Amino acid sequence: MKITRRNFIASVVGGVVGIQVTPLPWKITDDVAIWTQNWPWVPVPSTGAVTEENTVCNLCSGGCGISVRKVDQRAVKIEGRTDYPINPGGICPVGMGGLQLLYDNDMRFPGPMKRVGARGEGEFVNITWGEAYDILAGRIATLRKAGKPEAIAAVDGNVAGSTTSLLIERFMQAVGSPNYVRPASIADTYEMGNLLMQGKSNPMAYDLENSDYVLSFGAGLLEGWGAPGRVMNAWGLWHDANPAKRKTKVVQIESRASNTASKADFWVTPKPGTDGALALGIVHVLIGKGRIDERFVNGFTYGFNDLTSSEGQNQPGFKTIVLQKYSPAQVERITGVDAKTIIALADGFSKAKAPVAVYGKGKNNLNGSLYEFMAVQSLNAVAGRINRPGGVLLPGSLPLSPLPAFEPDEVAVNGLKKPRIDGAGTLAYPFAQSLINHFSDAINKSAKSPVDTLLVFSANPFFTVPDGGGFKNALEKIPFIVSFSPYRDETANMADLILPDHNYLEKMEDTVWPVGLQYPLYGLSRPVVEPINNTQNVGDVIIALSKAVGDATGSVFPWENFEEVLQVRAKGLFDAGGGLVRYNPSNPAWKFKYFDEPQKPSYGTFDEMWEEMKSGGMWYRPVKLATSWQGLFETPSGKFEFVSQKLRQAVSGRAALDQMGIRVAGVEALMGHYEAPKLGVDRSKYPLFMVPYEMINLTSGWIPSPPFLYKTIFATQLLKNESFAAMNPATAAKYKLHQGDRAVVKSPLGQLQVRVDLFEGAMPGRVYMPLGFGHTAYDEYQKGKGVNPNNIVKALNDPVSGYPIWWNTPVKLIKG
Amino acid sequence: MKNQSNSAENGTQSSIGGLVPKWINLSLIVQDASFFVLGLIAALIVGWAVFPALLYSKQPQPINFNHALHLDSEIVDGIEGDTPEEKCQSCHEFREDGSFAGIPKLEKCTECHDDPESPLGETPEEKAFMVEYVEPEKEVPWFVYSKQPDCVYFSHIAHVKMGKMECATCHGDFAGNKNLPLYVENRLTGYSINIWGKNISGFYLNKTYADRMKMDDCAQCHTEKGQEQNNACFVCHK
Repeated sequence: MKITRRNFIASVVGGVVGIQVTPLPWKITDDVAIWTQNWPWVPVPSTGAVTEENTVCNLCSGGCGISVRKVDQRAVKIEGRTDYPINPGGICPVGMGGLQLLYDNDMRFPGPMKRVGARGEGEFVNITWGEAYDILAGRIATLRKAGKPEAIAAVDGNVAGSTTSLLIERFMQAVGSPNYVRPASIADTYEMGNLLMQGKSNPMAYDLENSDYVLSFGAGLLEGWGAPGRVMNAWGLWHDANPAKRKTKVVQIESRASNTASKADFWVTPKPGTDGALALGIVHVLIGKGRIDERFVNGFTYGFNDLTSSEGQNQPGFKTIVLQKYSPAQVERITGVDAKTIIALADGFSKAKAPVAVYGKGKNNLNGSLYEFMAVQSLNAVAGRINRPGGVLLPGSLPLSPLPAFEPDEVAVNGLKKPRIDGAGTLAYPFAQSLINHFSDAINKSAKSPVDTLLVFSANPFFTVPDGGGFKNALEKIPFIVSFSPYRDETANMADLILPDHNYLEKMEDTVWPVGLQYPLYGLSRPVVEPINNTQNVGDVIIALSKAVGDATGSVFPWENFEEVLQVRAKGLFDAGGGLVRYNPSNPAWKFKYFDEPQKPSYGTFDEMWEEMKSGGMWYRPVKLATSWQGLFETPSGKFEFVSQKLRQAVSGRAALDQMGIRVAGVEALMGHYEAPKLGVDRSKYPLFMVPYEMINLTSGWIPSPPFLYKTIFATQLLKNESFAAMNPATAAKYKLHQGDRAVVKSPLGQLQVRVDLFEGAMPGRVYMPLGFGHTAYDEYQKGKGVNPNNIVKALNDPVSGYPIWWNTPVKLIKG
Repeated sequence: MKNQSNSAENGTQSSIGGLVPKWINLSLIVQDASFFVLGLIAALIVGWAVFPALLYSKQPQPINFNHALHLDSEIVDGIEGDTPEEKCQSCHEFREDGSFAGIPKLEKCTECHDDPESPLGETPEEKAFMVEYVEPEKEVPWFVYSKQPDCVYFSHIAHVKMGKMECATCHGDFAGNKNLPLYVENRLTGYSINIWGKNISGFYLNKTYADRMKMDDCAQCHTEKGQEQNNACFVCHK
């Protein structure tokens, strides 16, 4: 039978009618709707047992207590701990995004690797840990055999004083190289300033919570200075929701309207690099109005009044020099801050009950200027704000046990006699322990790199050193580079060998005294997840490596593993007694308790203390004033020194001053003061200054930014792949630049393409560029986003310290 | 005119006793009807048999678990309790925080089956379980019959402890099962057939709550128990 068109239609109609009385259309409609709700790329949280594990964040030196929520073995959220003294419940955006640093495997090394591509390409192949040890230990042993252990150098970005950093330094000494180099941070400036003025290289202890007038000289209080969780909590205490209860005023001294400046009660804008003069201008007014703390200044300080030199000559003291050179009118000419404001600041500072002058430069990552710090600390001293509640406290150092001394072998002894490549500790930089910018300079200046093998720990100097790309060039000259980074950063991409460390949530590690904290605290983080990749704790790697290099170095590391070393040091905490390992939020560690019984430790034996520290992550002593001034200052005079005698001992005559880069002479060179830097650049060609700035929601150190953070960046800071330079509309108008225009920022060392952001909060004549953009490594979210201002910084040497002056690079703007 | 008379004749011939008007072509109708029925039957076969067969995949569980055996307290120590619920909770337990652990982890199994070398029974399933999972400490990738979509929040403790409901009310009688049923998964949605219900039409004569686990079933029970307030969207869809 032939099927006609009519038959066909009849059967289709039958089919259509029939299908209506089957589940097909109704079920399929429902299922398709459900199907569209279950796209495979929509993340679905796993289900399972929910646990919270406490640890300490190690992403910066702040060391906030964090709690990691896990579903079965998967970490799903990081929050601040309320049972940790530093950060009652709060953490910074980087800390919150920390899980991406754990789970974003595009950013991480899967295990030990060997380079196969060209340097910088990031092409590696997997090797075993055994092979990695063989390659590195073999190389070190060969150099030692050739009598050249000093050709091994290390760049170590671990927090100074941390057990990992001590092990690395010890390893370098054991193999016989003096070239252990650390990137300079604000803590180094504090340490050096403290040594010169107070005789101890202690961390700075700013009693922020108890202060009622915070005069911040450039410290990015809301940009990540200090321990961000702590400072933000302090900010909350200062700014009580009830205006009647508010008693703390915040003054931000900074040339750009940063978050801190925008939220402060007053914003004062000296030219970048003149903060020291402003501090001394305030001191001038205090002296003039007789508002100094006579008892402290006369009883416990040295160099305030005129001095008699060893030859019996009368020398002007701190007071005379300040009165001569830093009157409000003179300071106005230096800083651009008008005299009335300087007087008002002095009034505010002297009328407050518990004022404090805090010194800083943005976050903690980069160094400050030694003389500026000394000037600001002189202001605290003149006003009697040292060892007083709400001022600068002197809590002594953490009583950690030192690692046992050892005898280096002959090769090491000879190697350690060789001069450091960076010149730290020489006549020119007597107080610096390392100078990373001079280290790379020395390599760049020599025909053949004096460094044969460079070990890089927790650092990304390629990206973070403000040196106009100097370190990057040095890396190209170094024959063999080993990176211990868990992340595929720029420096690691230049490396020949990768021995990756755990991520911070996978390892045990300590935090030694967060920057700026006013009481001693030792933080201990512990692994909260099993290592995802084939990585090893760098502390364990050093111990194993020393044994692989040979018996001579191996015997210097008698420990089984890293935890054992941590315990050796923590013994000192136990022996010192009185430390607390639990924290009750209703009993803040910063609250002075004059009449209460001191809290009793919750442990009896060292093992009990250690177990509690491992689970709680802390050892601390609540805030206390030193009750006796005796021995508080360990300077040659035993007093607080406005005029540093240690510096006097290091400086001998004009030649030494010149070598140290000091332009003034006499007593002035020994105290905090201002001197205009020798730019060495034709200002008519480079009429503007470029000032890098840091942000709370973008990392600029060796830790990558969690990609989440890029979602929080304003479109006036980064638009697609271009970052912005902020400038005052008046400055932009001179170059006929409008909002969003493309421009080139050119310094004597290089140029960067940016877009223009017109910003009333920018000082005229300055170009402000954000730090943290311009990565050429990591993952698709960070690579190629914006430009890195460090690449065009022409840093001068900060006098005495030798650290880079990174905040004042002469530049010009070119449209287009 | 001849044509006209022809057509008239045709009409007369095809009419049955003159009951059908001349202009209706009966044979064509019969033909249409049979094709219509043909299409209809084909559609019914496709809709009721072919479609369900294509829509669902069937997989056995990785290991057969004998609920009846494990719930026999004469054989298994530690399975105690006066009510079936207490017995179920010996393995399907509530965590300390009140959340429901669901299918037990390997850890639970190895509370008894702790030594891979010495099985407790003689079944080949247990031997396979020992070799494949206990020895390498690997979790068994169980299929979950009653897994609700991610957008649904369901609290077991609220229903079992507060609502005093029996496990079997929603899950059916698993306690007497010697063999685990096949896991039947909707290829399109990825959901288990237990959610939509085994009856693809969705119509039941005497529906019990163990027949399906759709939103309407939740709502129906809430309403029956006088808990209409729990039918608000955000009670379950967080």
